[in-house]
Amino acid sequence: MGAFYQYEPMAGSKPGKERADQYAFLDLPEIRKRYVSFENEQQVRVTLSLPAIHCSSCIYLLENLPKLEAKVLRVQVHFARKEAAVVFSSEFALSELALLLNYIGYPPDFSKNEQGQSKQDRTFLFQLGIAGFAFGSIMLWSTPDYFGLGKENPKFRDFTALLSFLASLPVLLFSARPYFISAYKALRSKSINLDVPITLGIIALYTQSVLQIFSGKGAGYMDSFAGFIFFLLIGKWFQNLTYASLSFDRDFSSFFPVAIQRIGTDQSKETVPVEQLQIGDLIEVRNEEIIPCDSELLSEEAFIDYSFVTGEALPILIHKGALVYAGGQVQGLSSRMLVKASTNRSHLTQLWNETKDKTPKNQLIRYQDRMAQYFLVILLFIAASSAICWYWIDPSAIFRVVVAILIVACPCALALSAPFTLGNAMRVLGNAGLYLKNTSVVEALTTIDTIVLDKTGTLTDPTSYKISIQSNQLQEQEFEVFVNMAQQSTHPLSRALAQAYPETNIIELSQIEELKGQGIKAVYKQKTYLLGSADFIGEKQLGKGSELFMKVGTQIAHLVFTSSWRTDAIHAILEQHGAANCYVLSGDHNQDKAALLQLGFLESQLYFELSPQQKADQIQALQKKGKQVLYIGDGLNDVGALGCAEIGIALSEDMFRFTPSSDAILEAQALKMLPQLLSIGRYAKRVLQICLAFSLSYNIFGLSIAISGQLTPLIAAILMPISSITIVLLSTLLIQTKFKRTLKS
Amino acid sequence: MGIVYLMLIVSLCLAALFLGFFFWATKNGQFDDDYGPSVRVLFEDEPTTKDV
Repeated sequence: MGAFYQYEPMAGSKPGKERADQYAFLDLPEIRKRYVSFENEQQVRVTLSLPAIHCSSCIYLLENLPKLEAKVLRVQVHFARKEAAVVFSSEFALSELALLLNYIGYPPDFSKNEQGQSKQDRTFLFQLGIAGFAFGSIMLWSTPDYFGLGKENPKFRDFTALLSFLASLPVLLFSARPYFISAYKALRSKSINLDVPITLGIIALYTQSVLQIFSGKGAGYMDSFAGFIFFLLIGKWFQNLTYASLSFDRDFSSFFPVAIQRIGTDQSKETVPVEQLQIGDLIEVRNEEIIPCDSELLSEEAFIDYSFVTGEALPILIHKGALVYAGGQVQGLSSRMLVKASTNRSHLTQLWNETKDKTPKNQLIRYQDRMAQYFLVILLFIAASSAICWYWIDPSAIFRVVVAILIVACPCALALSAPFTLGNAMRVLGNAGLYLKNTSVVEALTTIDTIVLDKTGTLTDPTSYKISIQSNQLQEQEFEVFVNMAQQSTHPLSRALAQAYPETNIIELSQIEELKGQGIKAVYKQKTYLLGSADFIGEKQLGKGSELFMKVGTQIAHLVFTSSWRTDAIHAILEQHGAANCYVLSGDHNQDKAALLQLGFLESQLYFELSPQQKADQIQALQKKGKQVLYIGDGLNDVGALGCAEIGIALSEDMFRFTPSSDAILEAQALKMLPQLLSIGRYAKRVLQICLAFSLSYNIFGLSIAISGQLTPLIAAILMPISSITIVLLSTLLIQTKFKRTLKS
Repeated sequence: MGIVYLMLIVSLCLAALFLGFFFWATKNGQFDDDYGPSVRVLFEDEPTTKDV
């Protein structure tokens, strides 16, 4: 592997676009201070978030960076967190480092990472270690007791009991703490979560054991106690592992550039953090930068790509004096703007804040917590009724029996069922390209009966245009000249044209002239070539859609651009769910109606020219009819719809750009797999039920022994780990097999 | 019977030793990244002489 990369160190990563002063803001002392974790006269240490890290060769390339740039001294990649700790010579500026990383294809994400934030909490591992140590040790010296040898050697038994007590103390005080805290918090807010019965069991188990040890009656259940905590913590560890790869907690600020060029009264340029922008400031936004706040355009005209805000693929031409909104991306020449609103009050933030206030999602009480409430009630009922029974049989045994019931009924396996099953399902779905926000989404997947789709960017593929060329009398070479002209332009249609014919020969053109928003003029072999809009060519406009004209001499060609449909995906969805349950909501005109009908949608279920609010209203109307709605969209103009649907899925062409109000992210190419992915979700619910049935039957088995007053430490110690391990194996195996089978079909 | 006590203490010491090792390893960040090192170990060493 190493040899390969010696020849081609850049393999697999796309070099980013260079712009010398792109990271200039990093050299401002106040910003620099945020990222630098250590600095002396010779070297500087920073930890940078590099979201592009994705495979083993990324580690190789980054860690061998010192060979490419001698001023970089050492790089250590933390793969799971997609971070790199870089030590570099103090002659090297932080902005130069950022530029270098950007150049080799790992643009650092400065909005997310701040120094000190990424310190890993290792407390959990210590808790796990202590519990494991106590579990193993106590089991070992309790072994004679399991075989009834304790009664023959009471002195030895008392000695090991004392040791067990000592070993169990750190488990109780340190390892079990998170459960006590969680249960206390739940009770204080007058609710019950699964940690309440767990805590109850822990306390009962521990009290009983301590009483037994100090009254000299036996060794207690300290082995079960330590093992119990140990297995619970392992379950939690697995859960954390599943969530670690998904960081959904990015706030809106990560979508904006962290600094922007401000132009002073004396026309001097200065890089300032976005938070410092004030109303009335003059800013310059360069090509491909995102407008940080609502502003007035001062340049003559600018192309603004609102695809991030509205989902519309084509940039809009804005003229001087018009208002441009935060979140738009400037295309082409840099533009000057006058700040009209501060960042936190802008159009875009409001859009997000609105969805954050709506809370239908929170009504999905977690499955576990709902189970916990029933469980606790039933458990207390059983404990009380067996206490009453034992009052008639043998009053002296009441306490022993009640404690035994609380111990053995501890929902250890129950607590593991949901995180393991749903966590496994999440992992499996993530492998297939559907990333869920949390496990409650898996549950919600099972109830979906209606699918609502956005049109632009969801049903159509924004990355590939279909270009139809009419009245084409052009010769091949003439056409190649036009493609070469298109390559020079930043206009989106030109870019689409250039992308559609990537293997065109390179032709040297002279006298290239671009009239912004109009077209391009070029001369080749004494002939003038024109490429542009109808006005530019001097023709009449033909259609409503996106079009481009080519003219050379007297020959004219007319190009119509239509984005192509994701036919596979549409057929798969319609086939699985039936056209009667599929709706299309579009913000566009109805020019695509015929195409949609041909694809198999029902006419009564197509809606056009909807505003973002109307999309959300439409979904709420469906919900009032009792439908469980799955909404798939791409842009921010779906925020309302994504938020109010039972599940809102944001379709994403690349993983670093997503909408915070969504419940899940789906990779665009995985859309055709959607029906299968939904079936995995449904299956996960069934597996969860099976696991719950299993763990309940373990509990019932244990309870029946406890109620009859025959629970021995041996049974308790065996029952708990076995029940937990069964659940873990069962859920993992069932979900994995289902996933493999689904992929094959 | 005395040997059992000895064995017990020895086993406890051994377990405590391993616990200590675990803590030491955790503190040194051994368990922070569970993917990177598995890749890093496969990197080839630099050729020691130029004509290799």
